[in-house]
Amino acid sequence: MKNNKILASGLLFLLSIAFTACDNHDSTGYEYAPNMYHPVGYEPLSQIDSNRINQYGMNMRLPVDGTISRRNYKTRFGSGDSAVADLMVYNINKDSLRIAERVLSNPVPNNEKTLEDGKELYVRYCWHCHGENGEGNGPVAEKYKGVPNYKSDAYKNMNDGHIFHVITHGKGRMWPHGSQVSPEERWKIVHYVHKLQQG
Amino acid sequence: MTKLPICQNNFITQFIVNFRNNFSYKTFFRDIINTNAAPNYRKIPLQYQIPILLLWREKANFFNMNTVKTNLHSKTMRSTAKLIVAFGLLFCTQTMAQDAAAGEALFKNNCSSCHAVTGERVIGPGLKGITARRDLAWIVKWVNNPQAVIASGDKYAVELYNKYNQAQMTAYPGLKEADISNIIAYIDASNAAPAAPAAGAVAAAPSSGGATDSAPSALFSYILVALMVVMLLVLGVLFAILTILSKAVTGNAAATSAANGASFMDTLKANLSKVSQNPTIRTATVWLFILLAGKATLDGAFNIGISQGYAPKQPIAFSHKLHAGQYEINCNYCHTGVNRGKSAHIPSANICMNCHGAIKRESPEIQKIYASIENQQPIEWVRVHNLPDHAYFNHAQHVNVGAIECTQCHGEIEKMEVVQQRSTLTMGWCIDCHRKTEVNTKDNAYYDKLVSAHKLESKEPLKVANIGGLECSKCHY
Repeated sequence: MKNNKILASGLLFLLSIAFTACDNHDSTGYEYAPNMYHPVGYEPLSQIDSNRINQYGMNMRLPVDGTISRRNYKTRFGSGDSAVADLMVYNINKDSLRIAERVLSNPVPNNEKTLEDGKELYVRYCWHCHGENGEGNGPVAEKYKGVPNYKSDAYKNMNDGHIFHVITHGKGRMWPHGSQVSPEERWKIVHYVHKLQQG
Repeated sequence: MTKLPICQNNFITQFIVNFRNNFSYKTFFRDIINTNAAPNYRKIPLQYQIPILLLWREKANFFNMNTVKTNLHSKTMRSTAKLIVAFGLLFCTQTMAQDAAAGEALFKNNCSSCHAVTGERVIGPGLKGITARRDLAWIVKWVNNPQAVIASGDKYAVELYNKYNQAQMTAYPGLKEADISNIIAYIDASNAAPAAPAAGAVAAAPSSGGATDSAPSALFSYILVALMVVMLLVLGVLFAILTILSKAVTGNAAATSAANGASFMDTLKANLSKVSQNPTIRTATVWLFILLAGKATLDGAFNIGISQGYAPKQPIAFSHKLHAGQYEINCNYCHTGVNRGKSAHIPSANICMNCHGAIKRESPEIQKIYASIENQQPIEWVRVHNLPDHAYFNHAQHVNVGAIECTQCHGEIEKMEVVQQRSTLTMGWCIDCHRKTEVNTKDNAYYDKLVSAHKLESKEPLKVANIGGLECSKCHY
C-alpha cells in the first residue's frame, strides 16, 4: 500500500516534469492527435512528409508552362457611356517603355473610390521607398538610394502607360512588381501617382 | 552656424572661405593665378567680375602687404584691400547666395536621389569638383539628354556609361543652363563649407548613444553585485547571532569555536529528526508535494496541442524587426495573399530581390537567397502559425471584411527578431473574439436585412456571433 503511494507520486512527478520541461522555442510541444491536425490533402504551405511525386519533395508546384492567370478576367470598368472594356492582358516587352507610353491608357475610371483604393495600394506596395507624397523619401529610400521625386520636372508629366509599365517591369534601380500587384490594382496606383505628381 | 556666403564659382567660394578663416592673400592669388582656376574666371557673370578685377589689379600691393607688415603704406593698402574685399563680398553674398539656394532646391528635387555633393558614389558619381572634370557646356548637354551624348560617341560619356554598369541617367530637358550653374554653385559651396563640425557631431553622436545604451546594463550588474555582498553580510551576521544564541542556550561558555559549530549542527539535526517524526507535518508535506505536482501536470496537460511561444530557427535569419520595424515595409508588400485568399503567403524569392538585387548583396544571409535562385532550390521556411487541419481559417475574410490588424493575432511582429507565435490559436481564443467583435455594417448593403432582423430581437449591436460566428460548420467542415 505504501509502495503504491510512493509509486503513484513518483509517476505524477515524472509526468509533471514531462509536461513542463518542454518550454522550448524550437518545439511545437505535444500534439494530442496528430492525424487530426495534419492535412490529408496536399496543403501548399504545410509540408508534413516529403511529397513522393513532386520535385524537391514539395506539395507546391509551378504552374504548367503557358498557363494564363485568370485574375485578369474582369473586363468592364465604369458604367453607361463611359464604360471601358479592357482585357488587361498586355504583351509589351519589358524593354519597350516607349511603346507602353504610346499604347496604354488607364481603363479604370478616375473617381474618389479609385483614388482611395489607389492610396491604400500605394501605402502597401510603394510607400516605403517613394514616401508619403511621392518625393522619394520613404524609410527604405534612405538606404536604397536613387528613388526619384514624382514632382520633379523629369517625372511630373509621365503618363499612364509609363507608370504602369514601370510598376510591371521596373526601371533603373526599381525591380518588377508585376507579381505582387494585379493589373487592375496597378491602374489604381497609376491614378494615385498622377495625383502625387501634381503635388 | 552662420550661413556661408556662396558664390557661383569654385575659387570665389574658396576665397570667401579663406577670408573668413584666416584669410591669406597669398593663397588666394595663388589660386587666381592657378591655371585650373583661370578658365573658370571667364565663366563668372559680369556683375561678379568687377570686384574680382579690382582685386586682381591690386594683387601686387597685396603681396607686398603680406611680407612687409609694419609699413605704414601697406597698412593703408590693407584697409583699401579690405574695403575692396568687403565690396566684392557684398556683391557675391547677396546675389550668389540666392543662386546657390535655388541650386540647392533644384539639387534636392532632381539630383540628390542619385548623386552626392561630395565625391562619394551613390548611384551615379559624386559631383565634387565636377567643374574641374567637365565644362559647363558639356554638363548642360549631358543633363538635358544623356542618351544623345552617349550616342554621339563622346569618349568621356561612353566611359562613364560603361563604368556605371550601362545604367543611363534620367534626362532632365527642363533644366536650363542657368539652373545647372545654380546647382554647380550649390555643389561647390557645400564642398567649400567647413565640414569639421558636422563630422565631429556625427562622430560624437554614436559614442554618446552607445554610452546611454550600455549604461543601464552596467548599472544593473553593479546593483546585483552590491546586493550579493549585502546578502552575504546579512548571512554572516545571522550565523553569528545563531552561534551566540545557541551558546547562550547550551550555556557552554568554555567551548571552543569548533565545538560551538558542532553543537549547533547537532541541535539542528536533532530538531529536524524530531520534526520529521511528527505525523501531521509528514502528511502535510506529502499533500503539498502531491498538490504541486498535480497542478504542474494539469497545466502541462492543458498545453497539449498549443504552440504558443513557438519560435523556430529559420533557414535564413530574416528579421521582421528590421524590415517591418525599422524600414516600415508594409506586411502586404511581401505577404501578398493576405487580402486575396486563405493564406497570407510566404514571399517568393523574387520579392526579396526587389531590394536585395541591389543592396546588401555581400551579406552571407542574402547570399543564401542567390544560391537558392541559382540552384532552383526552394527556401524551406519553417511554418510558425499552424491551425489543425479540422479548423478552417481564411485571411482575406478577416483582413478585408473584418478589417482586423495583423498585430491583433500575430502580436508585435515589427519588434520580433525571430517570429514567435504569440496567440494560443485555440478554439476558445477564436470564439472569444467572435463573441466580442462588432460587425462593421456601415455602408454595406449586404448587412442591411441582417441588422434589421437583429434589432427586433436584441438591443445589443450586431456581433460576429450573431451572424453565425459560433456555428460549428462555419469552421469545421
